[in-house]
Amino acid sequence: MTTAGDGVRSKVVLRPKVAIAGHHMAKSFGHVNALTDANVTVESGKVVALLGDNGAGKSTFLKCLLGIEKPSSGTLVIADQETTLDTVRDAQRLGVDCIHQDLALAPALSVVDNMFLGHQVRHRGVRGRLGVVARREMSERAAAALEELSIRLPSLSVPVSDLSGGQRQAVAVARAVMWSSTAVLMDEPTAALGARQSEIVCELMRTVAARGLGVLVVSHDLPRVLKVADRVAILWRGETVVETEAAGLTVPDVVATMVGYRKAVA
Amino acid sequence: MSVETMVAETPQVDDRARAPRNKALDWLRTNAAWVLGLDVLIVIAFTIASPGHVFWSAGNFQALALGGTQALILAMALAMMLGAGQFDLSIGANLVLCSVVAARVIQAMAGAPDAQGNFSSSTGPFVVGFVAAMATGLLFGLVNGAIIAYLNVNSLIATLGTLGIGTGLAFVIGRGGDIGGLPNGLQTHFTSQLILGVPAPAVVGLLLMVLVWATLKFTVFGTNTLAIGSSRTAAARAGIRVQRQIVHLAMFAGACAAIAAFIDISRYASTAINGHNQDGLAALTAVVIGGTLLEGGKVDVIGALFGTVLAVVLLNGLIIIDVPPYYQLVATGAVLVLAVAVDQFRSGRRERG
Repeated sequence: MTTAGDGVRSKVVLRPKVAIAGHHMAKSFGHVNALTDANVTVESGKVVALLGDNGAGKSTFLKCLLGIEKPSSGTLVIADQETTLDTVRDAQRLGVDCIHQDLALAPALSVVDNMFLGHQVRHRGVRGRLGVVARREMSERAAAALEELSIRLPSLSVPVSDLSGGQRQAVAVARAVMWSSTAVLMDEPTAALGARQSEIVCELMRTVAARGLGVLVVSHDLPRVLKVADRVAILWRGETVVETEAAGLTVPDVVATMVGYRKAVA
Repeated sequence: MSVETMVAETPQVDDRARAPRNKALDWLRTNAAWVLGLDVLIVIAFTIASPGHVFWSAGNFQALALGGTQALILAMALAMMLGAGQFDLSIGANLVLCSVVAARVIQAMAGAPDAQGNFSSSTGPFVVGFVAAMATGLLFGLVNGAIIAYLNVNSLIATLGTLGIGTGLAFVIGRGGDIGGLPNGLQTHFTSQLILGVPAPAVVGLLLMVLVWATLKFTVFGTNTLAIGSSRTAAARAGIRVQRQIVHLAMFAGACAAIAAFIDISRYASTAINGHNQDGLAALTAVVIGGTLLEGGKVDVIGALFGTVLAVVLLNGLIIIDVPPYYQLVATGAVLVLAVAVDQFRSGRRERG
């Protein structure tokens, strides 16, 4: 629940150098050491791809960066500040939002209601105290946020279940961008999409980074993600084996590193 | 190529999903519209079939309004719960428990009647009785909600359990049976009061309906409720306190049960512990016939009203045209199944995302 005024931020903001970073993170579940030495640094305005084979620990790492899981050791940096997170809300408060693989949209609710889920704007005065939402203001702000990312939808009042897969993904991206001021984490954002829609989502990543946010993307779509990313971090059995510029990397090199065939690309 | 030109040159997210069409036309395709049509048909049928057309009379309409009010209030409780994808089968048991508690309190406070069988005319006992019913209903709801939200018991099972507990406790407090002979002030002060020709309880029921409709449509509480029903994970990830919300919803259902309980003892000056076994299922049926999704996320309040009317008119009409009670049960059940089946057939193409 927030009051009017935030959400769509002004563009002239002093950005931190490091949007989000995890250093030497470890996490074990019982006898399984999911993460042993995971590292990634996402600078503001950059897209970083977090790659790795199934079971490499990508999801666990992402959860540790979001406050869903608590790392056993290691440090977390958000907006240049070392910090710890207890809940997702803590991450949200620091301007970090995530687009989950399943999008976490409520299909029966409208686009506007989804974009403001958990952040509804109330009317001023008595109506606000009764919990009445200012839907017109929400619609205008949602439309502005979508417009800024050049996302066009037929209507913002249709339930999300009426939208195509790509449109849903776009709504999820727009929502995350709207409520994050530091970094956006994306978990397999193109997994459920066709070729053209995947391209659109990759463009959205660039657009989001161009607005000064750090973008961390987990994806198996190597050709596409290598094209869009500035930097690449490759996890192998819970540790970051490579963290480097994306330029010049080839898919076979990355795959070889992901499966542990070679320790270093480049 | 810069980001801006890429975005400008590439056709954005496809826009084949249609914008909403004419709202009136869309409404005609809803369950609510179809059930309203059915309501009109059976009213016409019963008017023609009833001896001397007594079905269509002010007296009968008032009786319908009173019976319908209780059903409507319980339907509103179920509508809110279903919005979040939760059930409350225990609502009938909650109702009888509230009514015996209120009856005990009223009896104790009103004292014994005088030689003519009249009670003192004070309204104090009724007010305290209502407060006692409300406290009972809210507490019952709190227990339901806590079991569902914090012990993670499926709401069907949880409320099936509390259905038994509530009914048993009602018998304990009623010492094995109903509590009768309550002061007739209940009727004179409440049930037989007319507001613009409408019985006072029916006005309460309609106000409650408007409240539920407005809450779901315009408030944060309503949006969060539907979000939980539509996708509990999405709601939780968006920072909505899902467990607390479910407890609040269950307590709302408890408050509805208390109001319906007070109307119940006001009408008959007695409790009716055995008369409400089926109330939870009946309310559920009325709401679902009206277009509310069992899975949660979509509530049609007006549809729930029409669904309630269908059930109440059917029962009342069959009694008036003198169908033996056993057949009434059969006919009521059959029409309800038929209504849902026809709806399923009609909207069989509906896809859920």
